[in-house]
Amino acid sequence: MPSSDKKRLDYYALTWRLPVIVWQVLFFVGPLVFMIAMSFFLVKNYRMTEAFEMKNWVKMFGKDYFWDSYFLTLLLASMSTIVATCLAFPAAYGLAFKVSGNVRRWIVFLLIIPFFTSYLVRTFSWYVILAESGVVNNILGVIGLGPYTMLNTRFGTLVGYMTLTLPLVVILQTFSLANVDKNLIEAAQNLGASRVKVILQVIIPSAKVGLIIGAVFCFILSFGDFVAPYYLGGSKPPTLPILIIDTTKSGQQWPRAAVVAVMMMVTLMIVAFTAIKLAYSRKAYR
Amino acid sequence: MRADKLIRWFLWGYLGLVFLFIFAPIVTSIIFSFNSDRFPTIPLGSFTWKWYQTIYNDPDVWDAAKTSVIVALSTSCLATFIGFCTAYTDFRYQFKGKNSYLVLALLPPTIPLIILALAMLAWFSKIGLSGQVWSIVIAHTVLCAPFAMAVIRLRLQQMDPDLESAAWNLGASEWSAMRYVIVPFAMPAIVSSMCLTMAVSFDEFAVAWFVSGLNKTIPVIILEILQGNIDPQINAIGTFVFVTSITLVILAQLIFMLRTPGSASNA
Amino acid sequence: MTQAPDLSRRKFIKSSTIATGALAMPMIMTTRKAQAEATEINMLAWYGHGEPDMVEAFEAANNVKFKPKYFAGGDNMLALIAQSPPGTYDIILSDAEFVQQLNAADYIEELNPDDYPFDDFTYEGFTEFPGHWKDGKLYSTMVRYGHLGVSYNKNAVTAEEASSYKCFWKPELAGKVGHFDWHLPSLGMMSLYNGNNSPSPFDIGGDAWDAVQKTTMELRPQVGGFFDYGGTFNSLKNGEMMAMCGIGDWITGVLEKDGAPVASVVPKEGGIQWTESYCIGKGSSKAEIVNKFIQYMLSPEGQVRSAQMAAYPGFCVTNGGMAALQQDNMGEAERTGQIAGASNNPVTLIKEGRIHYRDIPRQQSLEDWNDFWSEYKNA
Repeated sequence: MPSSDKKRLDYYALTWRLPVIVWQVLFFVGPLVFMIAMSFFLVKNYRMTEAFEMKNWVKMFGKDYFWDSYFLTLLLASMSTIVATCLAFPAAYGLAFKVSGNVRRWIVFLLIIPFFTSYLVRTFSWYVILAESGVVNNILGVIGLGPYTMLNTRFGTLVGYMTLTLPLVVILQTFSLANVDKNLIEAAQNLGASRVKVILQVIIPSAKVGLIIGAVFCFILSFGDFVAPYYLGGSKPPTLPILIIDTTKSGQQWPRAAVVAVMMMVTLMIVAFTAIKLAYSRKAYR
Repeated sequence: MRADKLIRWFLWGYLGLVFLFIFAPIVTSIIFSFNSDRFPTIPLGSFTWKWYQTIYNDPDVWDAAKTSVIVALSTSCLATFIGFCTAYTDFRYQFKGKNSYLVLALLPPTIPLIILALAMLAWFSKIGLSGQVWSIVIAHTVLCAPFAMAVIRLRLQQMDPDLESAAWNLGASEWSAMRYVIVPFAMPAIVSSMCLTMAVSFDEFAVAWFVSGLNKTIPVIILEILQGNIDPQINAIGTFVFVTSITLVILAQLIFMLRTPGSASNA
Repeated sequence: MTQAPDLSRRKFIKSSTIATGALAMPMIMTTRKAQAEATEINMLAWYGHGEPDMVEAFEAANNVKFKPKYFAGGDNMLALIAQSPPGTYDIILSDAEFVQQLNAADYIEELNPDDYPFDDFTYEGFTEFPGHWKDGKLYSTMVRYGHLGVSYNKNAVTAEEASSYKCFWKPELAGKVGHFDWHLPSLGMMSLYNGNNSPSPFDIGGDAWDAVQKTTMELRPQVGGFFDYGGTFNSLKNGEMMAMCGIGDWITGVLEKDGAPVASVVPKEGGIQWTESYCIGKGSSKAEIVNKFIQYMLSPEGQVRSAQMAAYPGFCVTNGGMAALQQDNMGEAERTGQIAGASNNPVTLIKEGRIHYRDIPRQQSLEDWNDFWSEYKNA
């Protein structure tokens, strides 16, 4: 079959190959390239004019608030990734090793349910749960604790991020853990390895790729989310996505928003690239 | 083995906490959709259907529902078609540049929505496509096609690669092999892909908010209420959409379970 | 003035349970479609102006359907217009201080002054609102306004303390002062606090502007968050924020109706007036019916709706509207001072010189103020 494949680059093959190329070039690559170009445009009297000037870059890079936002967003997204990965692991571990396949399917189904409810609505619900006069503080009040301020803090932002990412991370981790070769685990146990040792030296290394992919998605989603930091974090201070929205709102400063967006993209690419390198790096375990 | 039992209990308890966290906002939202108070605070007011009546009577909500349905349906067809083409190409062909081809196809989910939103609005204004229902469909298709591709690709993986060539050997053309072998085999995945992409499109608000212009979808309406005159309509709309989409998913699952056995062996 | 309760009653009768709603969805979609064939009017406005409580009667009487797009803040409005093809919006509810910008950019049509009840306006200054006329031609007409000052939770701040912007610095309020997330009203208040009231808190020189920035930065440790309209509502209502900078009765009025212990006052340093004006979008093919709607909004009936708008209340601009409001809802008229002789009568406050129109910065660029706002939020 492979030998005849070369000749078969005919209409049939093209029919299946071309749609995605055409579509992505027109509506995915096109917009992104245009956005990069836009970061060099100028704005006069609320109108964008096409130009090639470094003005927007100089302006944004010269602003402390841009860099503050940048590092804050990086920090929050990293925290979100670490927290989600750690919180998800015991759950995924239990699902992968301690329950039958049938039970696992049902629980994964339950984990998918949040994807069918609006993220905005769920965020809105956290208001009443986390407010100073809210559900959590009322319960804590019964045992004489609190009230704690949770809204408009970084904790609030993190709760929002978890709402967005935790189900996904649990699912991805469960899949990767469930695929770990059970014989390997048994072998390690037979050799007398402790539970912790098995997890650290056998399970985590074998499931590394899946775990890292889960973490990367969590990072990307948190890094780009404006809902949690705005509505639960009180945009205090604003993250990069909020900065993008603020910038587009105020006086048609699209080129500057484009600068922020390009910086976000570059950052994400570096993060994703590093993570993939890490995921596929081979380290000698034995 | 007492330790084992303890660990098991711990894990179940932990899982319970995770589910508490995940479902707390969903349950809260459903409860508050029936709460008479204008602002969500506890203690609760009295039971009411008022917010459902408000959205039922609001033509803007119906318009948005219509737009959402049109967008979700069109998106699911387009994205699934593109995803199928890509998955099949990946399954069947080896060619130079295939890696870049796959990267191009699978990249969109790694770009934050807010960036895509900004880029798409700018691009659509540039090429004169902004503010139409189609702008949302196009944007959502870009977002959803990779998911469709992944789902269908997984299904094709389970197919015996010789099945297609066997059909050719029996004299079928490539097109009829596609028609009678591949598509029926991939059908369950095509259906799930349509459901999945529909769900993604139905809940997407960032890109839709930017490119929709005056054609609002349901999530855009929710965002507007959230930004504007906050009131429990949000919960009512959210609950309604939730019940509808869960019903659809369960229906799809049921149809699926009744139909799958044997559907691939007809070939 | 009686149709409002009538309509809501009809609403309740018309609807049954949501379950039948779900089953009937496809059918309803088609009947809604028939309705949608009414002339569509694209509206650009602050949140709430295109909602049923404002437009439903007019829609029914004229077989039109408003399609609203909402913005928050004049800069946001300009950005939205600039992003859309010309002629997209038929009617624009602009913040009055931005009308001149709309006009300069040629986004709006000329109006005929004879069409509007200017001789019935509560204050002669409103008929000649700055920027609404250019070279003797009218481009926009004011429809409602409101005053901004100190908004506070009565449990945390006394009325006496609230009589000065100084209360924002009260130590007990640390982390409990919120900002409405738009630079003009908040910075205007800081400017007033610094004593810049003549000619206007927005017409300040370089030194005064530096001082305003300094004062504002000093408030930063007190600030608990920056909120859009919805967030402002929510955080005041659930007690997350005890005082709010940059708003007024347009927020607290709605919350008071809901029983929250909040209020707004114009402090001794003076208050700021927000003003909303209607314009007809350039190139609109529906100018005639849009003009009819503007006239409707200036009629007593429209003014009463505007004064009690569900999203946020605004003062009547005509005497006819004020009289109708007193008849329709005396309580609301009294609460807002819209009766002759009230000490908080909005026109009296203006005449006493305690109110300053919100404006765009006169000696700095909008960009400067915007930039500072971003810096401030990040501080």
